[in-house]
Amino acid sequence: MYRFILSGMCLLMISAGFSQESEMAAIEGGAYIPLYGNDSLPVSVENFKIDKYPVTNRDYQKFLLENPKWKKSEVRALFADGRYLAHWQDDSHLKPDELEDAPVTNVSWFAARAYCKWRGKRLPSLDEWEYVAMADKVSADARKKDGYNEFILSWYERPKSFHQKVGSTYKNYWGVYDMHGMVWEWTSDFNSVIISGETRRDENQDNNLFCGSAAIGSSDLMNYAAFMRYAFRSSVKGNYSIRNLGFRCAQDSNEKENSANEAL
Amino acid sequence: MAKPNFKFKSTSITLLLSSILIVFASCKNDDEDTREAEDIKVSQTMNAELTAPPQVPKPTGRRKAKKLVVDMEVIEEESEMTDGVKYVYWTFDGTVPGSFIRTKVGDEVEFHLKNHPDNKLPHNIDLHAVNGPGGGAESSFVAPGHEVVFSFKVLNPGLYVYHCATAPVGMHIANGMYGLILVEPEEGLPEVDREYYIMQGDFYTKDEFGEPGLQPFDMKKAIDEDADYVVFNGKVGAMTGDNSLTAEVGETVRLYVGNGGPNLVSSFHVIGEIFDKVYVEGGDLVNENVQTTLIPAGGAAIVEFKIEAPGEYILVDHSIFRAFNKGALAQIKAEGEGNKKVFSGKIEEGIYLPEGGGIQEMPVDEEELAASRPSEKPDLQEKMELGKNVYGRTCVACHQASGQGIPSVFPPLAESDYLNEDVKRAIDIVLHGKSGEITVNGEKYNSVMTAQNISDQEAANVLTYIYNNWGNNGTEVTEEMVKAQRRN
Amino acid sequence: MKLYKLMLLSFLLLGVSCKNDKNKSEETEPVAQAETEALPEMSVFQLPSSWTTQEGEDIQLEELRGEVLVMVMIYTSCQAACPRLVADMRNIQKKVSEEANEKTKYVFVSIDPEVDTPKRLKTFAKENKMNNDQWLFLRGNKDATREFAAVLAVNYKRISPMDFSHSNIISVFDKDGVLVHQKEGLGTDDSKTIEAIEEHAID
Repeated sequence: MYRFILSGMCLLMISAGFSQESEMAAIEGGAYIPLYGNDSLPVSVENFKIDKYPVTNRDYQKFLLENPKWKKSEVRALFADGRYLAHWQDDSHLKPDELEDAPVTNVSWFAARAYCKWRGKRLPSLDEWEYVAMADKVSADARKKDGYNEFILSWYERPKSFHQKVGSTYKNYWGVYDMHGMVWEWTSDFNSVIISGETRRDENQDNNLFCGSAAIGSSDLMNYAAFMRYAFRSSVKGNYSIRNLGFRCAQDSNEKENSANEAL
Repeated sequence: MAKPNFKFKSTSITLLLSSILIVFASCKNDDEDTREAEDIKVSQTMNAELTAPPQVPKPTGRRKAKKLVVDMEVIEEESEMTDGVKYVYWTFDGTVPGSFIRTKVGDEVEFHLKNHPDNKLPHNIDLHAVNGPGGGAESSFVAPGHEVVFSFKVLNPGLYVYHCATAPVGMHIANGMYGLILVEPEEGLPEVDREYYIMQGDFYTKDEFGEPGLQPFDMKKAIDEDADYVVFNGKVGAMTGDNSLTAEVGETVRLYVGNGGPNLVSSFHVIGEIFDKVYVEGGDLVNENVQTTLIPAGGAAIVEFKIEAPGEYILVDHSIFRAFNKGALAQIKAEGEGNKKVFSGKIEEGIYLPEGGGIQEMPVDEEELAASRPSEKPDLQEKMELGKNVYGRTCVACHQASGQGIPSVFPPLAESDYLNEDVKRAIDIVLHGKSGEITVNGEKYNSVMTAQNISDQEAANVLTYIYNNWGNNGTEVTEEMVKAQRRN
Repeated sequence: MKLYKLMLLSFLLLGVSCKNDKNKSEETEPVAQAETEALPEMSVFQLPSSWTTQEGEDIQLEELRGEVLVMVMIYTSCQAACPRLVADMRNIQKKVSEEANEKTKYVFVSIDPEVDTPKRLKTFAKENKMNNDQWLFLRGNKDATREFAAVLAVNYKRISPMDFSHSNIISVFDKDGVLVHQKEGLGTDDSKTIEAIEEHAID
């Protein structure tokens, strides 16, 4: 009898362990030249881990159960604006035509951060995210390939792409899904993008609005796809909750995956 | 304000440098007129009537200047380019071109720009009718699911293009984000029988003209200016067949014609008509008896003609392959009694700037490097050069590029009596900072300058640079002089 | 919603306490406290992070409640815009009336916590003659700094080992930590900023 229970527990743990094992992809660090960077110098990215999929509505539901202060009715306006979880009908249920396995969107940066913290993780930095997002199916940096940019650009023109299950777009070089073609994603330092709403002006050296902005320019003119990502980031604030904006979590490579799940 | 008058848009001077840009330039006393317009008081608030093309709101007539509330929504949506061909348009108010805005000189426009929550992208609006940096672009930058409000006073009468100016600007325009805003003169435009709103635009799709299916935007073709579609009002056949514009014989028709671009200039022509009047480029210059008028990308024109005979009049871009092979066609159907005497038989602001400058690299040439290193005993010229660098790094933020300072905050270094009076004091201030009230050129300043952490040589150079510029007395400051002022 | 409930609750409590004429003072005190505890939805005092001042003291933002806060994010080694932001702050402080200044604190938050140690902030304060109670220099950890910037809509990025690029925004918070005004740009018109301070500092 005892043995039964024990082995049952083992099984549980194993299966839990298994699902956690496959949850994140290990990313081997390196250097890359970001669209906006230190005078177009390479930026180095350390080894780290990142969720293979964006956080889903289902995942987020669990988070809300344990963290009621992030429920729609409880959340404070400083941390999430009026559109927070606008696609949920109440504190714990999605609206009928929404998908549980679609990426959770309409979440603020503060909420995304709290979620990752709860999972013992953190949001990826902008550089980490961009680093992973350079990959197509076969290469780590596909930014010069036409097909890669076309795919991203075509997403900008496809309405309601948030309405699909995670994993529906391609698995990239690192084993990570949905970096493009599904939703925008929060990064920990989204507010490090120094471009104003008036992008044409950012090119002249107007130091008035942004100190040091003269040092920043675009390193790859053809990389329109990324350009729009940066423009998007510069348009949002920490408490904005947007229909096309979700997130996934990351972790330093020396951290143990998942501490919160033990609590589940 | 006897006559409408157009002023150079100082707002965008910097933007214009490297772009195809059209400027409404007129040279007479425009400042006076603008000042007058600025002073026009607004009496009431009213909601602007906004119309989808090809309709225009009713004339402002004799109404007084008002506070005009304009409510616009950015919508990204799929629609039909031509039979069987779909395209995802980015629009102001769901149409291409966006809603027509009709204002009057002196109106204070309170602009509400909403970005629909389902949209993917941030957007903004640059109205060529606005006197202000970026034409409102920066203050109107708005994320999906949000709304911004900004306001401006319309000062210069004319017909102006508005468009989205979010990066990549070309793509936002190419997807349909443009429209027209009319600023009527105080007395209003003369009455006519019919008014319509037409805007040309060029589109770039993955496949050729007519290839069915949802066609994505093709950035490469856009850059090459290789348009697949050149159309009026956003799609092929927006104003042909059952959608034709209509008029009666004997009526005077006024067309507000804009060109959103992004690339192509329009040779606008109505087959079978001569324009009685063209407000050239939408400005106050009126030309008469015009066959074809040029409408630049990001520009507009007002054309008027009287319909003399019944039948169909075809509107085209007379760069004629565009009309017959790419869609640039529209129709006016005129009904009524023909006048046999006349006719007996049948009948860009497109500011497109590639975002980002080129990558600049520092010279790595050894000789150049050597030349750029300071020599042991710099002569005056070298000191000036080196001093200029120090100035640019350390002083310019407060004292400004030509030493003019900032009124009542940072004293000027240019033609400065305080500076020229006492070089030792000047050295001391650079080395040890200064606070408390001082009087420079008759103005009182009371601020704090912190001690500058620079070497004796740098201090000597920068002071020499300052003393030998902007009308100062030409003192050459040496390292020894600086050393003497150092406190221990 | 919640705010209404709380207000309603405190009104109710007040109503109750008013009925008992005697002992009023004892009863109203906790009520008053309950009222102050309820921070407005948009209060920046809800941020949980803790900060170190130029005097080396650790504080929570909420401890600044009750005063109008004029805040700006800078870093002390900045040579370009920061001296001018500092000057802008100084000018605002000078133009604000004495009465309002008594209830106002001017706060500099470092975006470079690695370099800007309390000691360095203290030196910076002294150099700029901002060495009294009215001027507060704060430094937090990187995460808290990023969070604070998100609330202020200040963007910043390290662009070289020594330098940051950052937006130049001066923000005014009311006594409950709610953002009431922002001034963007350098040396721009500060009359609205001063108005906002006066309005919120003097009850």
